[in-house]
Amino acid sequence: MTLVIVSVLAFLIPYLGEGDAARTILRARTSNPALGDEAVKALSAELGLDRPMYAQYLDWLGNVLTGDLGYSFTSRLPVIDLVGSALWVSVTLAVIALTVAFLAAMPLGTLAATNRGGKVDSAITFVAQSAVSAPEYWVGPVAVLLFARQLGWLPSGGWSGPAYVVLPALVLALRPMGYFTQVMRAAMIDVLGARYVIAARARGLSFARTLLRHGVRNSMLPVMTLFSFWFAGLLGGAVVIEVIFSIPGMGRLLYTAVVNNDVPVIQGAIICILALAVAINTATDLLYGVLNPAMRVSHASA
Amino acid sequence: MPRRRPRPVTAEHPRAQAAEVATPAAPAAPADSPTARASPRAGLFDSVRGGFRSPPWTLAVGAGALAAVVVILLLTPWIAPHDPAFQELSQRLAGPSGDHWAGTDHLGRDVLSRLMYGGRFSVTIAAATLVLCAVIGIVLGALAAGRGGILDELLMRGVDVLTCFPDVVVALFLIAIFGTGYGTLVAALTITGWTPFARLMRGLALEIKSKEYIEAAEVLGCPRWFIVFRHIVPNALRPVLAMSFLRFGHKLITVGALSYLGLGVQPPDSDWGAMLLDAQPYMERLPWLGVLPGLAIFVTALSVTLIGQGLENRKLPRRRPDAGHAEPASAEAPLKGAGP
Repeated sequence: MTLVIVSVLAFLIPYLGEGDAARTILRARTSNPALGDEAVKALSAELGLDRPMYAQYLDWLGNVLTGDLGYSFTSRLPVIDLVGSALWVSVTLAVIALTVAFLAAMPLGTLAATNRGGKVDSAITFVAQSAVSAPEYWVGPVAVLLFARQLGWLPSGGWSGPAYVVLPALVLALRPMGYFTQVMRAAMIDVLGARYVIAARARGLSFARTLLRHGVRNSMLPVMTLFSFWFAGLLGGAVVIEVIFSIPGMGRLLYTAVVNNDVPVIQGAIICILALAVAINTATDLLYGVLNPAMRVSHASA
Repeated sequence: MPRRRPRPVTAEHPRAQAAEVATPAAPAAPADSPTARASPRAGLFDSVRGGFRSPPWTLAVGAGALAAVVVILLLTPWIAPHDPAFQELSQRLAGPSGDHWAGTDHLGRDVLSRLMYGGRFSVTIAAATLVLCAVIGIVLGALAAGRGGILDELLMRGVDVLTCFPDVVVALFLIAIFGTGYGTLVAALTITGWTPFARLMRGLALEIKSKEYIEAAEVLGCPRWFIVFRHIVPNALRPVLAMSFLRFGHKLITVGALSYLGLGVQPPDSDWGAMLLDAQPYMERLPWLGVLPGLAIFVTALSVTLIGQGLENRKLPRRRPDAGHAEPASAEAPLKGAGP
């Protein structure tokens, strides 16, 4: 349903934008950049651009569904190839960044929750809030300046080896790390107050074992939800980081396409990013039911 | 009652407190909440006070910093040392001096004045967007909870889907269609931004709806809209306010991000994000050109986050697991930040 709306909007981009829609579309469909008026007319008729809008939409949708997204205005390459390679880069970056964030947040959140109200808790919460408030277009350039230019430890941008991942992934991990920590802390506090934890302690389980067996496992659920949410977001939403570090991912692909008014690439990237977001969201919902039996019960009774 | 005890949100409805503590059969009844167990002073008002307290200094520091920022930005036309657009090309990229406290940028413009004027754009756009998001979210959320049925189902489906759209991508989408501009900027951030409010409001409304004073109002024959706007909205105010502060920082950062990409605030106007963009080529020689506007965003965002967290920690009735829209932890909804 949503995907239909998104696809309609994406289809309409050439009609709503400036310039002759027919010409824009023809440039996308053929790989010939220069077209005379005669050629435009002939091709319009041939490709059915004089037909009603809905018929054109269905044609276009058929092409999209078969993987034919047209050709980029700027590079003359098929959009599907551009999107494919960019997606792979973005997935790699997002997975690494979120894993870092997750691994940092787990102990921090647990530590804060077990010291609730204490100095350690205050410090961790403050760090998490700072991380959340730090814009990556500020941390990024400063990090480049420090670690790439001054110290020369890491490359400042590009995408040609493991060393190129470190800096962008760390900067990118900062904000999700802050959110994950806060959610982990809140969830852990909830779990530690639950009856089954009291029961486990009463059974004689040590605090550490209780924490590991019940606490961490049960408080991971909300963090996992947030994880998938961020994963969907970072597939296309890491625009700023990808631009700063010249990483050829989805975000930068979309950004350069918007700047250059490269309509077919915009259409392809938007559809791909939003479709993936919906797919990941749905998958999370399903997974959530599997991981959390309580959810199923409450749904069944509702 | 000592002054520093937070005023119960349900002040107009004293019975609400009684109702809250008098229903131990409810899923998340006070006896089950972590505070009741952890605090030796767990008493009748514990559920009203909210769970734990955030260290009070965070709220104070946040409020102080935000007040300072707001006052400076309000007074900018009178206290700014220079015209932010005045170019003094002989003074390009100068370091801090008596005349230019924060130095000058690549066109010889006074950085401090530009920071102050730029902040007005950043904060105003973020605030305008936030108000729009909050109003739309509150109205739709309350409607969903009040009407229920198909409307509820459809609205919350929409919320689910919109929530998972990265906001920068939606903004780029709209910019591709309509071009850059303040309207596009605010619209883009509103489309993705109202959903957390709707989700929160719906959860709160459903919970409040189950209270006895609502039943009383219904028995008295109050019309539905009256109950929604007289009882549910005022009672939900504090959590919504907390959420607003928490979301404000995120909005500010996103506005800055779009400006940094050159797609937000357009010249001759300039905001903190655009200043960072301008500073980019000179970062190596003159780091403070980029550090200062970033710091401004960071400090402002952090102060609102601290305030929001302070409010959130004292917030009223913990939402029950079944009251929200498939929302597991109460702390999660406000923290659901979108992708960067």
